[in-house]
Amino acid sequence: MTSITGSPTRAAAAPQPAPPGRRRPKRTWPFVLLLLGPGAVLIVVFIVVPALYGAYLSFTNTQLTGFAARDPKFVGIDNYTYLLTSADFLASLGQTGQFVLFSAIIGQTVLGMVAAILLSRPWVRGKGLWGAAVLMPMIVPEVVASLTWASVLSNNSEGTLNRLTGLFGADPTSWLQVVPMVSIIIVNIWRGVAFAMIMFQAALEDVPADLIEAARIDGASAIQIFRHITLPLIRGPVFLYLLLTTISTVGVFGLVYFLTQGGPGGATRLAAIYIYERALQFAQIGIGSAASMILLVLVLILGLVYVRLSKVEV
Amino acid sequence: MKRTRVIAALVATAVTVGGLTACSADSSGGDGKDGPVTITLMETKQIGIDSAKKQIPGFEAEMKKQGRDITVKLIGDVLTDPQFVTKITQQYIAGEAPDVADLGDSMVPGFAGAGYLAPIDDYLADWDGWDHYFPQFKEAMVRQDGKIYALVHDTGVQNFFYRKDLLTEYGVDTTQPATWDDMIARLEEIKAKNGDLPPIVIPAGTAWGGGTWNEGFQPILAGADQDYYSLETGKWDLESKGWLPTFNLYSDLVTKDLLPVQDLENPNPWEPTKYDKFPAGELQVAAQGTWGWKFDWGPDGATPIPDLETKLDTWQYPAMEAGGETYGWSGLGSSYGISENSENKEAAMLLAQYLSSGQPVADQLVASGAAPVRDDIADIKPFADEPKLVQAGKDLQTSLYVPTGDGSEQVAQAVANATEMILQGKANGQQAYDAFVEDATDLLGPSLVK
Repeated sequence: MTSITGSPTRAAAAPQPAPPGRRRPKRTWPFVLLLLGPGAVLIVVFIVVPALYGAYLSFTNTQLTGFAARDPKFVGIDNYTYLLTSADFLASLGQTGQFVLFSAIIGQTVLGMVAAILLSRPWVRGKGLWGAAVLMPMIVPEVVASLTWASVLSNNSEGTLNRLTGLFGADPTSWLQVVPMVSIIIVNIWRGVAFAMIMFQAALEDVPADLIEAARIDGASAIQIFRHITLPLIRGPVFLYLLLTTISTVGVFGLVYFLTQGGPGGATRLAAIYIYERALQFAQIGIGSAASMILLVLVLILGLVYVRLSKVEV
Repeated sequence: MKRTRVIAALVATAVTVGGLTACSADSSGGDGKDGPVTITLMETKQIGIDSAKKQIPGFEAEMKKQGRDITVKLIGDVLTDPQFVTKITQQYIAGEAPDVADLGDSMVPGFAGAGYLAPIDDYLADWDGWDHYFPQFKEAMVRQDGKIYALVHDTGVQNFFYRKDLLTEYGVDTTQPATWDDMIARLEEIKAKNGDLPPIVIPAGTAWGGGTWNEGFQPILAGADQDYYSLETGKWDLESKGWLPTFNLYSDLVTKDLLPVQDLENPNPWEPTKYDKFPAGELQVAAQGTWGWKFDWGPDGATPIPDLETKLDTWQYPAMEAGGETYGWSGLGSSYGISENSENKEAAMLLAQYLSSGQPVADQLVASGAAPVRDDIADIKPFADEPKLVQAGKDLQTSLYVPTGDGSEQVAQAVANATEMILQGKANGQQAYDAFVEDATDLLGPSLVK
């Protein structure tokens, strides 16, 4: 089980300091460098340097096209001031928050937990089949998932959902236009529930069976056992999952862009789509970079909150 | 030791000779006279790809006759305009762009301004084909720094295509509407005869992207006002007189349920409108360029309409006010731009000139359904056998066009946002105009606003 909780057991198992006179660190550093070096170089080249360059760009009026592209200038915090007073950007942040809250934090987490608990029950038959069915959305490439849902939510009478509602006499509906946010939330829940299930299944396996058994003998109901025993014991993995899913959901782009392109009327213009539009479609790379920096800071704050919460001892 | 030195000397000699040879090839100027030259051509529309495949062997043979050894490598990549802009912008920045790219009208100002395209004035001055270009296009190709950066090879006239067969069946007058009031009255009549469904599509809102400005708003705006951009100062006049009436017109069309709002909110709004409902006769009028005859609805087009020349006809844009002239709107169409980083600019320019002349351009115009920008094409077959396209070529002489420059993407964005507010019922014409001014001022910055 993966955990980010600093437990007493782990502290006790920490390596003892080397006896005086031994030069162990000097002998191991080339090996450590060999193992960590390539990864560190890749991180520096492909993450740290671009992030620093992005931070630099966010303080300039750099454009990709037009005469302004020839002579970018330092503009201080103008891009940040502009964005933090822009109704469009703030709306895109709000929509991102809504999307993350309902699709990742509530939808994927709850359904993933339910799936993990159900599949851990001994009386469930065909676990492999159910597991495969839940895993399938995670396995298929993003573009295939998008095409599938474009077909399901298609606005004509041939769309799968419209065929189903048509059985009850309803007229065809343009789901992606009538309820765009709900649609993309459902699609993202469908796509992400497998990852939640895998993480929670692994966590549930580490919960001692005798504890559960003891509680059951004491007369605790299934809900009480989950609330007071299981959940506190898997708190670390739950918060780790929340951290990972929040980061990945804030960055969701392809799935939503393919289905709605941020529309209708900006109703699903998540921050990632806003950044893409600004930086690449309208060539305002300075503003796009500043928006990315703001999003990065927000995700870091959320990450710190999750880490802090996950450290509470059970 | 001696052997090592001999090998080192040989390697050094080989590198030096190779380097000098390479320099020698480069210093030939890349025109194919002093050695073989390979240039790349990028096309992003299937029709353009097919056409280039057909024309390239002819170009290479023609160059051989002139003693030039030029090979053309075609990069055919079917992309939408926004995808193409995103891709080629990255290539220009990285210095990896193709030597020649077939660019849309709205892309050239931004790329030229950023220095990605090479100025071609000197090449044009030495080219006899340049004398055949219509003067208004020569003038419109000049960018705000006084230079020409892309060679236009085709264009079109934007009009309103209407379903003549259906309007005749409904008993609706099919003569040219003189004003927008006449047009709206006509549209209401069509709507009443067609189950109260919206009868006209004009690009609007954010989903249509740059088309909302280029193919929807700007042609209407130009009928009321041609002073909204000044090539001399390079500034946009956001208080120019045509903006508000144009927003008011959009508002009228929406409040009277004449525009298919829900279809315009579709992520690909041209599909339910131009590609589904217009061919099916559920929409009867569409703002559309000359390419409608071939690219959209022709026998090999996106959604063919059988017997389209008997079923369709065109109206010009009505005047905004009584007493005004009706008009067609023309853009600069498509043009060949040469990368500033190209090592073979001369060969690239020869290709652009070849594809923009005589039989090659006549073939391309028929394939894409476009009109020529020069006076020596009308009699060349198969173009000469296409009466609608020949007529479009004639209409160009009287059509309106307002060349714009830096900032057109930002204005396009602000117009898309403001018309989106109208579509969603969040603003009337005045409110949309106010929002547009605020948005455009913000996006353009002080240096581009009058």
